[in-house]
Amino acid sequence: MAELVEIMGISHSPNFPGQIAEPNPEPAIVEAARDYELMRQRMAGFRPDVLVVIASDHLNQFFMDNMPAFLVGKAPRAEGPFPHEMRTFGIAPYRAEVEVDVAKSMLQLAPKMGVDFSFSDEFRIDHAFTVPLNFIRPEMDLPIVPIFTNVMAPPVPPAQRFYEVGKAIRRIIHELPSNKRVGVLSSGHLAIEIGGPKEGRSSADPEFDRRMMNLVGRGDVETVIAEATWERMMASGNVTPGFLNFVLLMGLADGRAPSVSGVRFPKSKGSVPYMAWDSQAGVLP
Amino acid sequence: MSKYQVDKVMREVILDEKALTAFKVDARKFLEGRSLTEEEKDALINVDYATLYRLGAHPFLLNGFTPRAWKGDKAALRAEYRKKIAPHGYPDFST
Repeated sequence: MAELVEIMGISHSPNFPGQIAEPNPEPAIVEAARDYELMRQRMAGFRPDVLVVIASDHLNQFFMDNMPAFLVGKAPRAEGPFPHEMRTFGIAPYRAEVEVDVAKSMLQLAPKMGVDFSFSDEFRIDHAFTVPLNFIRPEMDLPIVPIFTNVMAPPVPPAQRFYEVGKAIRRIIHELPSNKRVGVLSSGHLAIEIGGPKEGRSSADPEFDRRMMNLVGRGDVETVIAEATWERMMASGNVTPGFLNFVLLMGLADGRAPSVSGVRFPKSKGSVPYMAWDSQAGVLP
Repeated sequence: MSKYQVDKVMREVILDEKALTAFKVDARKFLEGRSLTEEEKDALINVDYATLYRLGAHPFLLNGFTPRAWKGDKAALRAEYRKKIAPHGYPDFST
């Protein structure tokens, strides 16, 4: 039986690394960078042997010719992001071994838990994986199991389903036939608009961001699921459904309130959230 | 209307340098044989992002495609983009 030792959610904004690197970043960016350094230390403190990384592909690897809702990557290596992302945002590459045995075990256990994951033996990870991994495990020394979610191409599964899949992954991790310490890292975001009329330099809907982070912070699963509808999220910003990965984490945490959570509101670009559920005595019950 | 085919073209231009070059050299030839309406073809060829947006092109892909395919002044594009798509509200971009 594997041990779930830490669950963590952060932003995957490809702008954020560049904002930190600016000569005089605004105070909210400095604070957010400090938050993420604390998150890095937090994950390291729980000494995971493997990171299950749950993030969305941005129509780079997966497309509407063959779109999986939830997919486990089981190629031997994961590498990214895509060249156009490095060119546009100047973000750093990331390379990791994939813990193929764990990925295969997850696929075998999943149907019993009510989830039929798709799988892939050939893929590239985009900025939704590489940005958070570069913050949380810059050493690139831990194997990962990437899980891709569809938050980009409607119909996107509803919040209830993301929550259920999170709960299923929790049970799968507990039943893995190994004694590995498993950390979970997920990435998403709050209200964001890209390519739409509201696209600007700060959050597309700060009220949505505050409300959702307050609900996540209290572990109010019922209200989050009731309010994080496709229509509500789209009204907040046309790519806001990236928030659903955080709903999945609420399921992974079995509906409990996080140990820590918060959000920064830079004037430039979107808000920067963080959340973590710590294990007691090194293992989440 | 063939939103999927429009999205597919935009994605190719974003991901593939050879596709970008081919599109810039002769967009009409690049689009030959694809199941697109004349309106969609013209909008892609002219990088008429407001029309593509109105027709339900995926906004995330449109955001990547437009500056890459744009032949004019990119600062002017950035200044005009939101203003030109705003009248169209939020078209359904599901395929």
